[in-house]
Amino acid sequence: MAFLQWRRFNFFDKELVKDPATDQPFDLLKEINISACTSGRGNLVIADFEGNIFFINRQLTLTTFKGYEIRVSHLHQMKQHNLLITIGEDEQGVNPIIKVWNLDKMDKGIPACTRLTRAIPANKPTPVTCFTVHENLNFMTVGFENGAVLLFKGDVTRDRHSKPRLIHDAGRPITGLGFKTSGKDVYLFVVTEASVTTINITNKDIKNTLEPFGTTLGNVIMSDATQDNQLVIGRQDAVYFYQHDGRGPCLAFEGEKLQLHWFRGYLIIVSKESKSMPRAPPMGSHSLEMNLVTVYDINNKFIAYTAPYPEVIDIMCEAGAIYILSGDRKLYQLQEKDTSTKLEILFKKNNYLLAISLAKSQQLDQDGLMAIFTQYGDHLYAKGDHDGSIQQYIRTIGKLEASYVIRKFLDAQKIHNLTKYLQALHKSQLATEEHTTLLLNCYTKLKDVSKLDEFIMTKDREVDFDVETAIKVCRQAGYHRHALSLAEKHEKHEWYLKIQLEDIRDYQAALTYIARLDFDAAETNMKQYGKILMSEAPQKTTELLKRLCTDYKPTNQPLVDQTSLEGAVPRIQRAHAEEFIHIFVNNSAQLTEFLEHMVEVQPNSSSLVYNTLLELYLHDMVHEKSITARVDRERKTLELLKNPDAGYSMEQAMVLCQVNNFKAGILYLYEKAHLYQQILQYHMEHNEFVHVMETCKKFGQQDPDLWTHALSYFAQRESQCKPQLMEVLSHIDKKNLMSPLLVVQTLAHNSTATLSVLKDYIIRRLQLEQDQMGEDVRLIRQYQDDTAKKRTQIHELQTSAKIFQASKCNICNHTLELPSVHFLCEPHSYHQHCFESYSESEMECPACAPENRKFMDIIRAQEMTRDTHESFHNQLERAPDGFAVVADYFGRGLFNAPKPSK
Amino acid sequence: MSYAYLFKYIIIGDTGVGKSCLLLQFTDKRFQPVHDLTIGVEFGARMITIDGKQIKLQIWDTAGQESFRSITRSYYRGAAGALLVYDITRRDTFNHLTTWLEDARQHSNSNMVIMLIGNKSDLEARREVKKEEGEAFAREHGLIFMETSAKTAANVEEAFINTAKEIYQKIQDGVFDINNEANGIKIGPQHSPANQNMPSGGGGGNQGGNCC
Repeated sequence: MAFLQWRRFNFFDKELVKDPATDQPFDLLKEINISACTSGRGNLVIADFEGNIFFINRQLTLTTFKGYEIRVSHLHQMKQHNLLITIGEDEQGVNPIIKVWNLDKMDKGIPACTRLTRAIPANKPTPVTCFTVHENLNFMTVGFENGAVLLFKGDVTRDRHSKPRLIHDAGRPITGLGFKTSGKDVYLFVVTEASVTTINITNKDIKNTLEPFGTTLGNVIMSDATQDNQLVIGRQDAVYFYQHDGRGPCLAFEGEKLQLHWFRGYLIIVSKESKSMPRAPPMGSHSLEMNLVTVYDINNKFIAYTAPYPEVIDIMCEAGAIYILSGDRKLYQLQEKDTSTKLEILFKKNNYLLAISLAKSQQLDQDGLMAIFTQYGDHLYAKGDHDGSIQQYIRTIGKLEASYVIRKFLDAQKIHNLTKYLQALHKSQLATEEHTTLLLNCYTKLKDVSKLDEFIMTKDREVDFDVETAIKVCRQAGYHRHALSLAEKHEKHEWYLKIQLEDIRDYQAALTYIARLDFDAAETNMKQYGKILMSEAPQKTTELLKRLCTDYKPTNQPLVDQTSLEGAVPRIQRAHAEEFIHIFVNNSAQLTEFLEHMVEVQPNSSSLVYNTLLELYLHDMVHEKSITARVDRERKTLELLKNPDAGYSMEQAMVLCQVNNFKAGILYLYEKAHLYQQILQYHMEHNEFVHVMETCKKFGQQDPDLWTHALSYFAQRESQCKPQLMEVLSHIDKKNLMSPLLVVQTLAHNSTATLSVLKDYIIRRLQLEQDQMGEDVRLIRQYQDDTAKKRTQIHELQTSAKIFQASKCNICNHTLELPSVHFLCEPHSYHQHCFESYSESEMECPACAPENRKFMDIIRAQEMTRDTHESFHNQLERAPDGFAVVADYFGRGLFNAPKPSK
Repeated sequence: MSYAYLFKYIIIGDTGVGKSCLLLQFTDKRFQPVHDLTIGVEFGARMITIDGKQIKLQIWDTAGQESFRSITRSYYRGAAGALLVYDITRRDTFNHLTTWLEDARQHSNSNMVIMLIGNKSDLEARREVKKEEGEAFAREHGLIFMETSAKTAANVEEAFINTAKEIYQKIQDGVFDINNEANGIKIGPQHSPANQNMPSGGGGGNQGGNCC
């Protein structure tokens, strides 16, 4: 039944222990008659039938002391304390004595014996079969051949004279004892050949017989924490595990067992070689029986080592190795292979599952595990088990380069597996953009809409992928709905609209979406997509644009939000209407509506808005067929033009009006621009005499030239327009706008204008001029007289003497006395003292000085203004009679020879 | 972890029908395509909830090999439920059911709830035993029947939980004496029978599941 066994490996290296000094096999135990073995705290401890106790340390030096007079039968080395507890005999007969040795305290070269107690149950001396000590040093129990079990409570190291308690009498030799702590309770396992019993020694010694069969001496061991400190007993058919309350699992390892040992999760079984072949060579006088040593890994379920040894005396586990003491007194050491070696072995056998579980139980680090997963994955892949291998690769995520796996499965076109891997990659947040793309591509290729749904649509899931990539891929693959929902969820407005408009063509939805965006986003998006939207959904688009350009607020925002409640003035955001005008190409009706709205709510809109609106109006007007509608349009247009707020540009408006031949508009604009000549011209061109006259009347005040133009216009008219001509003439006459000569000349061009038209005018004019001339002649004469008078006066002053006869001072009006001062001017005479106190200069007559100064000032002023050309030009331009100004300047001595400056 | 009850289960059936895989799927929620032969008896445990009560399932997975029969038999005693498993792709495993059933009835208490399980339902192509046959066998012997797949986990959970429900119902009906541990039922440490609304017959011994 060889195959009814666990898998077998060789995870231990067997080595014969050699003396390091001599390199010869360690043979110091050759002559010793061994009775018991134990180990702990770096030493192997061996006792013999002569009462000696031997210690072998790591350097294989042997120390010894005599513990008993006659023999040592049992040894127990505490693991946590450096205490050795022994049972042996000092006297002949059955008289077992327990001794506790403190190995730290040496007394005359031998360890101090701290306790010495006889172990005799109920005064019936009987040999000890087994004993054990609880690691807490509070319990020690001894089992006897007659079935008695003695329990020593209290400090084990000291003899307290407390009577040991006989807690059990099995009636059969005790073959095993073990303590197990479970919670607050301490249980004692008692094993005989016919029973397994637990005794709760901390709670009234409650007994519980777990099994009606047991095992022989040596086949009982306590497992360690890796197996929950269960009791293990080896029987012919199997190895059984026991909890304190019942039987646990069993392992059907067949064969007659001699010894059980426990080593770090390994169960070591020494059994009789089942095949009784005479393998052992005859050694001297007697041949040694061969025993089989098997090491089981209980956790991972395999045999870690198995080999035959000649008659195993005992096995000691110390310092990380197993020491086997064989019957030929040789000491073998089993050294466990290191983890990587073990894994190597497993890999060679392609036993990856075991490798993984082994690595885990050996606490291998993450890198190591990953390496195993990778190898396993590779192996399964090579075998063609793609499903299996991807499972393994998924476990390597985070360590193994993802591209390695991806390439493998891409090449093999194993999309299902690849998808699985990529999903796992995303789940562990390690996916890059390319991975997302790939995964989505996989989904789309597999047409796995539900997965795609799950991947994309799952709400409130952490996004573990690059959104833009995902959108892109979905879009390319035609999964517009997915792309859309992604874009919406992650506020990728551009993408959303692009998809909505270019792929799905749901313009209404796009508009609704834009309306929900905040201002900036809405504005840019409208600019970008307005044209398409306009052509597809003009009404709604216009509505949205209106809102956008007036008082925008996202539709999903409450009407009154928190900030406005708190009294903050909401910042009104509005877009510039003119930036959207281009959107309305080919849709003038909507544009008109839009612009009208804009103009209404925002009178200070830019000129572009008004210009465009005007253009639209004019366009409409021109193309309007029915008269009434046309009139209405004209009215509207004119209203726009007349609107003082309308900020259209003059030039453009004018061009527009002219192009569209909108008379009222043109005229209005001329008027607004003060281009009266143009108005006149316009009317003249259209031969509208009445309007010409009106224009002249209306604007003649501002621009008198209008009349002259009108005159020449009428003069040139061949047709009968005498009344107009008369009127014009009368106006010209009234305002003296033209010299009569010019009038005559102008009219001379006209063949129809008769003298009768002019007669009155000319007579009146000539009369007037004659009067004028008469007046002028009179004035000239007067000035000539004045000048002659002055000349004689000067002459007189220069040539004839002047007699001063004044008797009174002209200042104080008292009788003139000497000394006095006389002036030629009036003549004026003054007292000298009066003169001195009044006059400002000695050269001037105080009485005449103010008058003189007045004249001097006038002259000076004239001289000064003479040079200021600008004011001259100004005056010249402004004055109704330019010649008068020039004459005036002549008078001021404009052309006098410049005086030499002083 | 505290529990109201602990139920002991055994899984029996021919070797290779997937007993260990069923257990692994139920306790660890994983599947191992390559599974070693079970040598002896192993066990697994999992907590489930029935009727708002926490119930611990202690499941003994036995070796199917004929040579281990004597060992595994000793585990029948003290089981409240048994999963008798056959492989729908191997008729001989179905044919052996009678033997297994006799064995189980003989070595366990009479109230033990036995569920018949046709495993490997994922291998429909290789099916040798019809579902109807399994149903008929179950009806004939008073068993509950279910087809499962340890690989895909189909019905695995249900198989274990339905058995537990059946046991729980039997407790409610007073069929099981919950104070006799040989029945494979144990009352949880915090749930002494006095506090529970137990069916008649449970009032006698208060010590019940508390000790040992």
